[in-house]
Amino acid sequence: MSDKTLKTAETAALDVIEREKQAVEDLIAMRSITAENAVFKRTAGGFVSLEFGDKTYPRVAIHRCFPHSDPTHYISVRMPDNDGKEIALIEDLNALPEDVRTMLLEQMELRYFSPKIMKIYDIKSEYGYSYWDVLTDRGRCRFTARMGGNSVYSIGHNRYLVNDLDGNRFEIADISALTAKEMKKLDIFI
Amino acid sequence: MNLHYTLPDAERLLVTSVLGEEGIEYCVPYDLAADGAFCDNGWVVVTRRTLLCLQGGAIIATVSLSDTDEIVCLSNVDSGNLAARRGGEDTFLCRFSMRHMVRLSYVARGATLFCREEYRILESTEKERYCPKCGTVLPGTDHCPRCGGGARTLRRLWDLGSRYVLPLLCLTLFMAANSAFVLWQQFVQRDFIDNVLVPAEGSVQAVLTFFGLMFVIIMSSLTLRISRRALSNRLGTRISHDLRARVFEKINVLSLSFSDKRQAGELMNRVVDDSGQVRMFMEEVFSEMFTQFFTIGGAIVIMLIINPTLALLTIAFMPLAALLVRLFRNREMRLWRQQWRYNDQVNNRLQDVISGIRVVKSFGQEQRETARFQEYTARYCELQRRNEKFFATLYPFVTLVLTIGSFFVYYFGGADVIGGTMTIGELTQFTAYAAMLYGPLGWLTRLPRMLMRLTNSLERMYDILDEEVEVAEHENAVEKEIEGNIRFEDVTFGYRSYEPVLNKINFEVKKGEMIGLVGASGSGKSTLINLIMRLYDVDDGRITVDGTDLREFSKESLHRQIGVVLQETFLFTGSIYDNIRYAKPDATPAEIIQAAKMANAHEFIVRFPDGYDTYVGEHGYTLSGGERQRIAIARAILHRPHLLVLDEATSSLDTETEFQIQEALDRLTEGRTTFAIAHRLSTLRNADRIFVLDNHGIAEMGTHNELIRQKGVYYGLVMAQMQMHKIRNEETV
Repeated sequence: MSDKTLKTAETAALDVIEREKQAVEDLIAMRSITAENAVFKRTAGGFVSLEFGDKTYPRVAIHRCFPHSDPTHYISVRMPDNDGKEIALIEDLNALPEDVRTMLLEQMELRYFSPKIMKIYDIKSEYGYSYWDVLTDRGRCRFTARMGGNSVYSIGHNRYLVNDLDGNRFEIADISALTAKEMKKLDIFI
Repeated sequence: MNLHYTLPDAERLLVTSVLGEEGIEYCVPYDLAADGAFCDNGWVVVTRRTLLCLQGGAIIATVSLSDTDEIVCLSNVDSGNLAARRGGEDTFLCRFSMRHMVRLSYVARGATLFCREEYRILESTEKERYCPKCGTVLPGTDHCPRCGGGARTLRRLWDLGSRYVLPLLCLTLFMAANSAFVLWQQFVQRDFIDNVLVPAEGSVQAVLTFFGLMFVIIMSSLTLRISRRALSNRLGTRISHDLRARVFEKINVLSLSFSDKRQAGELMNRVVDDSGQVRMFMEEVFSEMFTQFFTIGGAIVIMLIINPTLALLTIAFMPLAALLVRLFRNREMRLWRQQWRYNDQVNNRLQDVISGIRVVKSFGQEQRETARFQEYTARYCELQRRNEKFFATLYPFVTLVLTIGSFFVYYFGGADVIGGTMTIGELTQFTAYAAMLYGPLGWLTRLPRMLMRLTNSLERMYDILDEEVEVAEHENAVEKEIEGNIRFEDVTFGYRSYEPVLNKINFEVKKGEMIGLVGASGSGKSTLINLIMRLYDVDDGRITVDGTDLREFSKESLHRQIGVVLQETFLFTGSIYDNIRYAKPDATPAEIIQAAKMANAHEFIVRFPDGYDTYVGEHGYTLSGGERQRIAIARAILHRPHLLVLDEATSSLDTETEFQIQEALDRLTEGRTTFAIAHRLSTLRNADRIFVLDNHGIAEMGTHNELIRQKGVYYGLVMAQMQMHKIRNEETV
């Protein structure tokens, strides 16, 4: 390479580095959405769009940072594709106006599916699998889990998750709230 | 997986009334309403022009596919959505749990093809997880062992058994003889009690005869039992060995996509555990089975002859006793399982802390961890104590239940003896037979479980044995010398057919060209190479080598002419010599040394005390990464391949060894068509052309200089790496 092309190559390379640095800073920055600085709108297709800063996003994804331990704080508003980046954080969902809040809750309702087991009708175990028949907050459901292994595990005091064969997770919010009869069925798993 | 469900009548009428006679191409169920409640009447129906979502007997969404860009399957937390995308805007269609995720992903892909006016029907290769009829989990096979499986299983057993007719016959004969002796022994005893142990009539002579007879019976029975055991063990090991060998052979023949679909551990289980299960069955169950059946049958018949009423009474108690034994066993199993789980937890905790001991110590958390662990062990200890107490009471109780029948026999039998309708010998004989009935009860209640385990194991192994070879040898497979002209024509491939990794790839490579493959991880570089090596067959389009379709080559001759150097070199346990000649077992020492020299490996090998005989692999001599890599290169050069594949061959090495290996590789690639994947772009300086893979396709293609001039993706990558290199060098100075 001649001296001149080397020079341009070098400046170009510096550009690349600069861009990378910018991207990293972008990632680290804490940007907050408040009632004042953003406009959420329902789209015709049943999703939500966002105007924030000088940009308009035709569809945004709404993720919880703490889906189990704190579902109403630190809500991440993101680009909708799988490797999409965060646009900004909502620190407190309750600080937003009523209509926006419902809109966002709807979107999160659509994203999060973790049925809670309210009642255990039956658990039948047979040849390495357990067949469950339960009532959840989403209605009655039958599912199948592996015996042994980690299909039922604790995620903190009295809270349990059940993994079924399909990859669904069922939550038992408080195991001490189950009846003695239900506990007996659950006994071998915990 | 089934993508073509049949709609219930009401729904079918509805769909026909809307769509007329448009043919349904896909029809699958879904299980959630928009608000996330379970619903059991959701259906997605796709024709070539329209997609319908049905729920509760009504159509809730209609999409005209020709006005839609794409049907997307959005994955959410433990659930998914189907949405129609048009001009960048999404419209929500329906919602489903993970149960239907795979199916709906396929349907989304299939419908998207229709949007683009490609009328190809996708089929899913994934297996159903549950039996569509009875809901039982399928053991990784297509056929439910429970419903309609009886005949299949019998056929499998027959197929298996017919290979070992003679030993099986022998074994059955032994078992029958064994029971005959057991039953006969009681007759001799009765005779002894009734006719010999009578003070007035008996004689020492008769006692001696009895003694002799008993000795013969006991000894023959012992011999029979030993030989029966030996025979069944031999048969069990032989059957499991045969099965193991057959399954292993089949796994090797099947294409990689078969192994990909299953985890290595699962395949190992099938080879090791499932065949072991068959052996265990033969040794522990089968060898007992007929003896038990003959003995029980014989005992019942004889009892009925001696005293029908008493016999019926004894038999009447059997189901009750069986039920009780079963109940106790269930309870016992529960306790054991619970204890086992706790034990697991304690172990996990222990492993967690010990492997993370540096973290624990550096954050000063020793006391907290100790307290936590103590809590775990205390709970485990308590559970163990409780269980032991229970078992200690359980077993004597079970024994009691089993002997309940004999109490009645003693009572009624005793009355008969006193009444003179029964002799003492007969009563003794009778109680002995009654014990024979109750004894194997426990074993009998376990039998269905053991049989199920056997059929599942057989089912899993036959699943592999019956699998069709996907990358099959062409009927008239050709063997010919490869020159190295390679052409990709519209090649599309995905490990799962709804998720293409490579989409419509087209390129042509001339003989002797070196192609560098660049791209982010997951962009399909390794996949492209896998296709060239024909570890997988393309889904669509074709690959030709010197104008001949890759699929028409004999696999053996193709692989003989391809040399491969991978990032992680796998050396088999054995000598360096064996490892180098792995692909060409008949290589002469001179050839091997020549190859090692070309790979810059000869010098270091000869410096080892054991030279080429150095033992490597597990428990063997530890080689450095660079040394292993050079052995791999020697292995690749040895059979003088016409086509060379280098998959990150130098990425895990330090700069100095890299230089040596690069030098060896340069020698290797000369005159050979080469495909090289590299992260470090400097290793591609000799490449004739560079393909940049991005987004399932080739984004840029050209020589190094061309791509630099183009200022695209490649340019950015090179510049960034150069700059990084520079910064690093400045820092070290």
